[in-house]
Amino acid sequence: MLTVQTVLFAAKWVFVALIYLVLLLVLVAVRREMALRLRAGQPLPSTAPGRLRVAEAGSDPRLHPDEVLLLKPTTTLGAEADNDLILLDGFVSAHHARLRWDGAGWWLEDLGSKNGTYVNSERLVPLAAQQVALGARLRLGDTVLELQA
Amino acid sequence: MTAPLARPSERHTEALLLFVVGLLAVLGFVLAALGLAVSAGQPPWPAALPALWPPILFALLFAGLHLLLRRGRVEMEQVLLPLVALLSAVGLVMIWRLRGESGVSQQLLRGFLPGALVMAVLILRPRWVDAIRRWSVPLSLIGLALALATAFFGVVDETGARLALKLGPLPALQTSEILKVALIIFLADYIAREGEKAEARGRPFAGWLRVPALRYFVPGLLFVVMATLALVLMSDFGAAIILAAIFAGMLYAGFETRLFVTVAAIGLGLALVVIAVLVFTWKIPAVVQMRFIAFADPWSTAPLVINGRPLGITVSQGPGYQIQQALYAIIAGGVGGTGLGFGSPQYIPLAWSDFIFASLLEEMGAVVGFAVLVVFAIVLLRLLRLAALLPREQTFERLLLAGITIHLFAQVFIMVAGTINLLPLTGVTVPFLSLGGVALAINLSEIGIALALVRRLEALPA
Repeated sequence: MLTVQTVLFAAKWVFVALIYLVLLLVLVAVRREMALRLRAGQPLPSTAPGRLRVAEAGSDPRLHPDEVLLLKPTTTLGAEADNDLILLDGFVSAHHARLRWDGAGWWLEDLGSKNGTYVNSERLVPLAAQQVALGARLRLGDTVLELQA
Repeated sequence: MTAPLARPSERHTEALLLFVVGLLAVLGFVLAALGLAVSAGQPPWPAALPALWPPILFALLFAGLHLLLRRGRVEMEQVLLPLVALLSAVGLVMIWRLRGESGVSQQLLRGFLPGALVMAVLILRPRWVDAIRRWSVPLSLIGLALALATAFFGVVDETGARLALKLGPLPALQTSEILKVALIIFLADYIAREGEKAEARGRPFAGWLRVPALRYFVPGLLFVVMATLALVLMSDFGAAIILAAIFAGMLYAGFETRLFVTVAAIGLGLALVVIAVLVFTWKIPAVVQMRFIAFADPWSTAPLVINGRPLGITVSQGPGYQIQQALYAIIAGGVGGTGLGFGSPQYIPLAWSDFIFASLLEEMGAVVGFAVLVVFAIVLLRLLRLAALLPREQTFERLLLAGITIHLFAQVFIMVAGTINLLPLTGVTVPFLSLGGVALAINLSEIGIALALVRRLEALPA
C-alpha cells in the first residue's frame, strides 16, 4: 500500500542523494581541474633536457601554435586526466604514447593508440620504443609537436 | 578512446551543478510542505503548489549569476557558486519549514536579493575591487561609525542587547555584520600598505622575536580597540570573538612568522590584563556568565545565581534550556533524520537562526549535516586556493580573501560547536543557512568579491 508517508520517506532519500550527487560532481570537477595543468600556467617539473613545441595545435582548444611544453624524464601523453601531458584532441587515445629520456636520447613508444603515433609522418610500431632525434615532428591525432633541446 | 574533455569556458560544470541544486531546492520545499501538512492531519497535495515560488525565485537568482559569469567569459572556479547555492537552498528549505512564507520572503528579499545584486555588480565590474581598496579607509570608518552609533542609539532587544540600528523607515540594520567586513577591508589595506615597512623596521627582541616599530601598529590597534568597544557596548560578544579571529588570522596571513608571534604575544598579554582587570573591578556581563554556566552543565538543576542574585530558576530551565533542546533534536534526528515536517525543532529557541544546524540535524539527519560541513570545507579551501593563485603583488586582494575565509570559518565553527555544546554558545549566524538579512547579504557579497577576483585573474596576460 503506497501511502503519502512512504512516498515522503523515499523522496527524503532522493533529496539526500541529490546533495551527495552535487558533492560527487564537485569532486570530479576539482580532480579534472587539477589535471588541467597546462592552462594554469604551471610548467611540469623539468629535469630532462627537452621540450615540445606545438607545431600544429590540432583540436585541443588549450594549445596554441609555438607554445612550448616542458618534459619530464618520462612523460606520458594522452587524453585521460592521469597523463603528464593531456591532449584534449578528439583523435588522441586515453593513454596514447610515452616519451622517455635515457640519459643520452629520447625514446618514443606508442602505447597501442587507436589512431597511431607518427614521427616525421612515419607510423610507429605499437608498444616498441623508438629513438627520436631532436627536431623530429611527433604527430598524435591532429596535434603535431616538435621535439626540441 | 575517451571523449575529449568539455571546454571549460562554457561553464558546463557550473550549469550542471546549479541544475541539480535547483532540483534539490524544489524537492526540499515540496517535501517540507507535504510533511507539514501530513503531520498536521491535512490533505497533503494542495499544500505543495504554494511551496513552489520560493525555490523558483531562488533558482532564477543563481541562474542569473551563472549567465553573468558566462557572459564575462570566466573559465575558472565553477564549483564555488553551486556550493554556496547548495548551502543556501538547504537553509531556505529549513526556514520554510520553521517560519513558513514570511520567513522565506524575508530571507529572499532582505538577504538574497541585495546579496545577489552586489555579486552581479562585482562580476560585471571586477575593477570595483580596486575601488574597495582605494576607498578602504572611508569604507571601514563608515562601518565603525555605524557600529558605534548602534552601541549608543541602537534598538534594545528583549535580552538587553543593542544589536540593530533603526534608520528612519528602513528595516533595522545588524551593524555588527557590517563591522566585520569593515575590519577585513581595513586590515587588508593596512597590512598591504604598511606590512613590508613594518617588517623592515622590526627590531630584534630577545633573540628570535621581532618587535615592529610602534607607529605602524597604532592605527590598526586603534581600529580594533574601537570596534571591540562598540561590540561590548552592544553586548554582542559573539561578533567580538569573530573580530578577534579575523584580526589574528589576517595578521598571521600578512606578516612574517617572527613578527606575528611577537605581536600576537603582546596582544594576548594585553587582552589577559584587560580581562583580569575587568574580572576584578567590574562584573562579567550576565549574558557571558550564563553562557559559560550553561556550557559547563546544561542539565544542572542547581538554582541559577548571577552576580550573587538568585534568578529563581534552575540552570536547565534557564540558559541550559536551548542547548538541551538542541541536543534532544540532534538525538531525535539520528543518521537519517525524522523527515521534513515530522520532527519538532520548534521547541528549540531560535531554531531558524542560531540553532539552524540543530534543526537541520533533526529533520534531515546526520547524513545531510555531514554533507553541509564538507561543503563548507570545500568552499573555504576554494577561497584559499584562489588567494594562492593570485599574483604575489596583489597583496590587498590576497589578504581580503584570507580575511573572508577566516570570517566564514569562524562563524561556522563557533555556531556548529555551540550547537553540540563543544564551546560556549555565542549568538552569530551560520553563513548561508541561518535566517538573517544583512548577514546573508554580506556573506554573498564576500563570495561576489571572490568571483570578481577570479574574473580579474583571467583577464591578466598569461
